[in-house]
Amino acid sequence: MVAREKLNLLKDRFGTAIQRADLPAEDRLFVFIDRASVREVCRHVFRQLDARYIISIGADDRPHSGHFLVAHNFAFDRDHLLASFLTQLPADDPKLDSITADVPAANWAEREFRDLVGIEPVGHAYPKRLVLPDGWPEGMHPLRKDVPWNHVPEGFDPDREFKFDEPPEGCTVVPFGPFHPTLDEPAHFRLYLEGEMVRGCEYRGFMVHRGIEKLAESVLTYNDIPMAAERICGICGCVHNVAYAQAVESAAALEIPPRAAYIRTIMLELERLHSHLLWVGLACHIVGFDTLFMQAFRIREPVMWIAEKISGNRKTYALCVIGGVRWDITPELKTELRQVLDKLETEWTAVVAAVSKDRNIQRRTRGVGVADARLVKEAGLVGPVARAAGVPGDARRDHPYAAYDRLDFDVITADGADVWSRVVVRMKEVFESIRIMRQCLDRMEPGPLALDIQDELPVGRMGMSSVEAPRGESHHFIITGENNRPRRWRVRAPTYQNLQGVPAMIKDQQLADMTISLGSIDPCFSCTDRMETVDIRSGAQRIWSQEELLRLVRRR
Amino acid sequence: MSITSKLKEAVLCLRAGRVTLPYPAQSSPLPARFRGRPVFDAAKCIGCGGCASNCPAREILVYDVCQEIRIIKYLGRRCTYCGRCADVCPEKAITMSHEFENATPAIGDIQQRLELFMSTCQRCGRCFKEPSKLEELKMKGYRFDDLENERWVFRSQAYLDGQPVVDDIEIELD
Repeated sequence: MVAREKLNLLKDRFGTAIQRADLPAEDRLFVFIDRASVREVCRHVFRQLDARYIISIGADDRPHSGHFLVAHNFAFDRDHLLASFLTQLPADDPKLDSITADVPAANWAEREFRDLVGIEPVGHAYPKRLVLPDGWPEGMHPLRKDVPWNHVPEGFDPDREFKFDEPPEGCTVVPFGPFHPTLDEPAHFRLYLEGEMVRGCEYRGFMVHRGIEKLAESVLTYNDIPMAAERICGICGCVHNVAYAQAVESAAALEIPPRAAYIRTIMLELERLHSHLLWVGLACHIVGFDTLFMQAFRIREPVMWIAEKISGNRKTYALCVIGGVRWDITPELKTELRQVLDKLETEWTAVVAAVSKDRNIQRRTRGVGVADARLVKEAGLVGPVARAAGVPGDARRDHPYAAYDRLDFDVITADGADVWSRVVVRMKEVFESIRIMRQCLDRMEPGPLALDIQDELPVGRMGMSSVEAPRGESHHFIITGENNRPRRWRVRAPTYQNLQGVPAMIKDQQLADMTISLGSIDPCFSCTDRMETVDIRSGAQRIWSQEELLRLVRRR
Repeated sequence: MSITSKLKEAVLCLRAGRVTLPYPAQSSPLPARFRGRPVFDAAKCIGCGGCASNCPAREILVYDVCQEIRIIKYLGRRCTYCGRCADVCPEKAITMSHEFENATPAIGDIQQRLELFMSTCQRCGRCFKEPSKLEELKMKGYRFDDLENERWVFRSQAYLDGQPVVDDIEIELD
């Protein structure tokens, strides 16, 4: 048993620093470690045992254990093991050593629990505010249990501005976003330019952080949350829906019926199909090749229609409840889905044949936005970005869920580490998805769609689930709780890690390549409420506040 | 060669022809399972409030005017048409209709207000079977959501710990 092996390795090395462990399944490991050795253990796990960093989670557990809780989650991909290293912190001194110096990928996650739960990562090199809005008062942490979900903090100052870092000497600042024609959603990058070359950048996002986790922990109930989880992302909604349900099922040791597992797999792959087709279209749009943009969207449309026929909606499938799925795939739908797949395969083969030799696209994308295997490891990059760098990470094979352990498919990799390789990986993955869905349709047996859950879910159990979203691994962590709802639910979308790799990807390349480099990770963002105008004649800058903007808008 | 690529791409476009649909001048038929605006049938509704308890968007309010009259109001503002209300309804009184062109300057057009006559249970006034542990009705006594301001009010003991229950009725068991 791998989990036991890893635990013994750690026990041999760290002895009493390993306080206790929980091995609920062969592929899950929860280890409680002493606060003083967090950094050492994480360094060992990340460097010597070569685990992949997933996410760090801060939780307020004071009402139950009197402690704060921090979990550092790592994945042993080759050993098919997800491991969580937990530390309890005293309620009056919520501090622990930052692991960012050893595990650079933990940068954002540590800043996030500092903002939201008020746990101080001691020794963090860049402890700047990440998630909370600029005007939010200090010392007020919304994810703490004593803060009601609808609390409006006193002293909120809408006019307070975010302090950006000083640009390096000799560099000009060029603001990119929050609104930019090539971004589907807003995000703000402050680029430092030397001539045409990007030398660095600062990122500011999270401006409409919607607090879905807080809502789930205080208002919604187990079966409400899937519908909210689905709205985390406009493209890979079903992924979050399934990942949440699986996290709860793993915590409560529920095994879903086989038919439900196959249906989840089919819907996830349908989602991957539409997402990859959309992404190839958008990538072409970004480099100015609108012909293929239109064609990719045309080919994608039947996928949306069949999803609508199965689930009742083009995009928000509302698929899962705890213990199963809501929509059945009838024999008629099966036939229709097969036809859609056949047609898609033919059409996509034609597109791939045309694009793979197209020199214009290649010139625009080869050698651009390079993220090599080293950056993948350091920044914890996932999905097509990692696979395009030759790192064969894929949660479907590494941490099988739904019906993936019963299916035969390949993990597509490439070795260019650039945007072109990401195009190639995604184009080929479309065929793998079709293959997976055909197998599901063949093997699906009649049976129940969901478990009949008669008992309350056990309290205080932990669960983890990784689902391979079209853009990378989506990871959910859950602690079950009272009143039919979780105590803590943490979502890590793939873009959370991939965005942290963007500054390294765009460094020392031309400004014009910024858009496609950023686009190549298939990002998801939030938006902002401020605007900067420059008077072209005088060159004078003026920042409009939210109130002034409102007045301006209402004047007409 | 790039020139052959360009030709292939041109063929792709020509083969596809025109695909734009003449919407909204002409609408295409909707699939049978399409989830549009939920429609409530007052004749079938027994007023159990399961839909209100299980609505992720908290779009359904319940207000007990007196022992005999219960008002159920569907707000229609941020409803996501997930269809959970229709799932849990024991009487199938809620249908996910095929209406999706619901943009309106008057919110009342898509709202629904049901005034239900409630017959009285001899034991507690309001008791209905819970579909499952995960879909508990979450209220035992009466409920008083804020209809004026269209807000959900937590008052059921089964819902939040430590919150006083307003006018909850002691159940006497023999």
